Amino acid sequence: MATALAAVPGGRDLWRVAIIATGAAAILAPVALVVYQSFLSAPFFSARARFSLDGYAFVLADEDFWVAGLNSVILAASMVAIAVPVGAALAYLVVRTDLPARRALETLVLVPLFVSPMVLAFGYVVSLGPVGFLTTAYESVLGAAPWNIYSMLATALIVALTHVPHVYLYVAAALRLVPSDSEEAARVAGAGPGRTALTVTLPMVLPSIGVGAVLVFFLGFELFGLPYVLGDPEGRLVLSTYLYKLTTRLGTPSYQLMAVVVVAIMVVTLPLVTLQRLVTAQARRYATVRGKAVRARLVPLGRWRWLAFAAIMLWLVAVVIVPLAGITLRSVVSSWGLGVNLADVLTLRNYAAIDSMRGVGRSIVNTALIATFGAALSVAAYAAFTLATHRWPGWFSRVFDYLVLLPRAMPGIVAGLAIFWLFLFVAPLKPLLNTLASIWLAYTLVWMPFGLRLVSNAVGQIGEELEDAARVAGAGPGRVARDVVLPLARHGLLASWLLTFLLFAREYSTGIYLIGPGSEVMGAMLVSLWSAGNIDVVSALSVINTVMIALGIAIALRLGIALDE
Amino acid sequence: MLKKNTEETMIKSLAAGLVLALMALPAHAVGVPENYPPSYKAMLAAAEKEGKVVIYSNTEQFAVNPVLDAFQAAFPNIKLDYVEIKSSELYNRFVSEASAGALQGDVIWSSSMDLQFKLLDEGFAQAYASPEKAALPAWAVYKDLGYGTTFEPAAFIYNKRVLQEAAVPKSHAALAKYLSDNAASLQGKVGTYDPQKSGLGYFLYSQDLRNGTVLWDIAKGLGQTKARQYSATGNMLEKVASGEHLLAYNVVGSYALLKAKSDPSMGVVIPNDYAVVMTRIAFVPKDAKRPNAAKVFLDFVLSKAGQEVIANKASLFSIRQDVEGEATAAKLTRELGSAIKPVAINAELLDLLEPTKRLPFFKKWQGLIEGK
Repeated sequence: MATALAAVPGGRDLWRVAIIATGAAAILAPVALVVYQSFLSAPFFSARARFSLDGYAFVLADEDFWVAGLNSVILAASMVAIAVPVGAALAYLVVRTDLPARRALETLVLVPLFVSPMVLAFGYVVSLGPVGFLTTAYESVLGAAPWNIYSMLATALIVALTHVPHVYLYVAAALRLVPSDSEEAARVAGAGPGRTALTVTLPMVLPSIGVGAVLVFFLGFELFGLPYVLGDPEGRLVLSTYLYKLTTRLGTPSYQLMAVVVVAIMVVTLPLVTLQRLVTAQARRYATVRGKAVRARLVPLGRWRWLAFAAIMLWLVAVVIVPLAGITLRSVVSSWGLGVNLADVLTLRNYAAIDSMRGVGRSIVNTALIATFGAALSVAAYAAFTLATHRWPGWFSRVFDYLVLLPRAMPGIVAGLAIFWLFLFVAPLKPLLNTLASIWLAYTLVWMPFGLRLVSNAVGQIGEELEDAARVAGAGPGRVARDVVLPLARHGLLASWLLTFLLFAREYSTGIYLIGPGSEVMGAMLVSLWSAGNIDVVSALSVINTVMIALGIAIALRLGIALDE
Repeated sequence: MLKKNTEETMIKSLAAGLVLALMALPAHAVGVPENYPPSYKAMLAAAEKEGKVVIYSNTEQFAVNPVLDAFQAAFPNIKLDYVEIKSSELYNRFVSEASAGALQGDVIWSSSMDLQFKLLDEGFAQAYASPEKAALPAWAVYKDLGYGTTFEPAAFIYNKRVLQEAAVPKSHAALAKYLSDNAASLQGKVGTYDPQKSGLGYFLYSQDLRNGTVLWDIAKGLGQTKARQYSATGNMLEKVASGEHLLAYNVVGSYALLKAKSDPSMGVVIPNDYAVVMTRIAFVPKDAKRPNAAKVFLDFVLSKAGQEVIANKASLFSIRQDVEGEATAAKLTRELGSAIKPVAINAELLDLLEPTKRLPFFKKWQGLIEGK
């Protein structure tokens, strides 16, 4: 009924068209530029650029491309295979069961999201690398360590375990909205907790799990920091490090080749969106915030209670404590490793050195700005897009659903490069190039699929009848959005803002081509300093980055914004 | 009341004018050497009017900061903005900005000699005869367009806590033999530049090949030790300092020496059979927004005062023979004589950017490194 009403074309849908058109333009411009570049023989701005398929011929004939592609598929698949079930189980445990300290865990399980992949990777080298402090400690007692941090297995495990929170977020949000009456019915009928979870709860949150799986798979193709630090010296390429290699391999940066690789990533990943659409098409059946919501009752875990708790703690130690301990240790010593007595090399010089680094101070301020105000602005944009497509089954909004995933099919570094060119070659944008505006646009675009999903989780599951009620009372769609949907989604929106804050504060690859005098951000600065090899400052700055994010969270929690609503 | 205010304003502006004049005076006196032409004053005045200079460079800040600080002290009226970017990104940024007519950088300064030369060759630089030109070796100046500013040898590095200095090879041939002889104990413990991911890496290997074929023996040895390949000197410094690697081949010697100053575990060998020396090329772009300030900066870097900082604080090695100190061309030449092989700024550099030459090299290199 509501659907039929909204589908009637008319002037009052104009605002939706306007918002969607703006968003589509912002998304399509960089994507179109990259696709266009892929068919040229030289950089698009060069006078020598001609239409050419040579880029495709070169890349498709390059053995490295296929090897890198295969590695990317393996990493992405292992992320799905591990992060999805673990993340879903974690969500079930935290939301639905009587797990010890579950309120505290609700925040703690998201901590891996705070840590920048560059920080993680380097932290692991210092703690678990061949001469890492944990490795040497282990070897002094038990003999040769059985792990190799640079192996493909280790990389796959690390990327999978660090992406558990991404899945957790989706599934937990869905679980909170599923009423527990059907579960109780199952239990009354004699099903145990395990069977109830698998046969009753699981089907209800399957769409959210599907979304999480697709997103994690996308992120798997985009991975840069971890494979760059852990796999690169071994010569193990993934698509994004292969891209990076193309900047130097042929002497001068080969943008047409980089563009071809991005097109290839899109060709592989976009069909997944169709798959996801098929899965989520059924989501409507499970819209769950109804006019009458019943508080969920917790499932007793019995003797599994503490075991589950211990498993979660172990996971947190592995993906947070171990790498952070490594990087923190590195930040307070001048040297480390084989034969170094740490007490002799303790120093605060690395932190003092930050002060003398040009641009680094500015990058700290800029990062704080972009992560707070920038993220708020982005959430506002995401909310506008969500409301514009919300319960609007026109083909326009279906297309938009595909569009928003496009920027994520570009690794951040390429998205940043495309945005850099747009700001350089589109006259009205030119004055904004070396400002945070360019960084903001790039961040907003690459995190759009994730951010939109956060926002639509908050908005999408509000029962249609609440909106229908307003409509029956005579409210137009704008009024419904303003007076019904937004207030009901307020907590969700605040949580989205906080998560976007996290993502922006630790984002690193997108800014690589965008940072200039005045627009430095910490993440890209870290990559630049890492490539230059100034590890002293890298480690100190990493710790500051992590502390900044932790502070942001602490303040938000203080203000009563829940991270996970 | 009104009168008093006007008086106050007048006195204030007089005082301000006086302060400005005083500030400007010592700047001229400190910054400009006496032997510069009289017309230089006008250029300096124009530079101070521009008020700012933006440097695009890939030189690490911990090395270059003393040079920048010295410039700032000598020319306090020219604000300095230093943007550190990896060489291939620097090239991209410059070419894109220049093509869009929105160039920000006033001085382009990079160790990537081949990419820099390509820019000079394609007409992106403006001709400027620096008054310091006569003090530079002829091979380091290209048609008044680009200037070599440093004299940095490629080096081997090793971990002093693990390897004794006497055991460490001092020449390329000795290195090749050392790697083969000790392959078993060096498994995974040697680092080297990845020529495919680092333009500098390919550059250094190409220079090796101009000095014989010993590189292929080294590559074979690297393959036998299952050496790891890196895209930056800094990463190799870190791995060798921690002892994860014992030895690394072909690193930028200047950075290694600077690291050795603060880290006693870092050992540096400048090979004595031949030592490839590169120089960071600086130029002023044709469309520079602040050309006068850019030229003043370039002259300062080339000047005796600037090069003394480069020699003694930045460890980037002074290129001038008349500068003495711990890191200078003069000292290196005394120690190694004709083994020093500086890479000249000329059209041969363009060869290095030829994909048709690079790809066969990579193929052979990769085959040896993988022990095939």
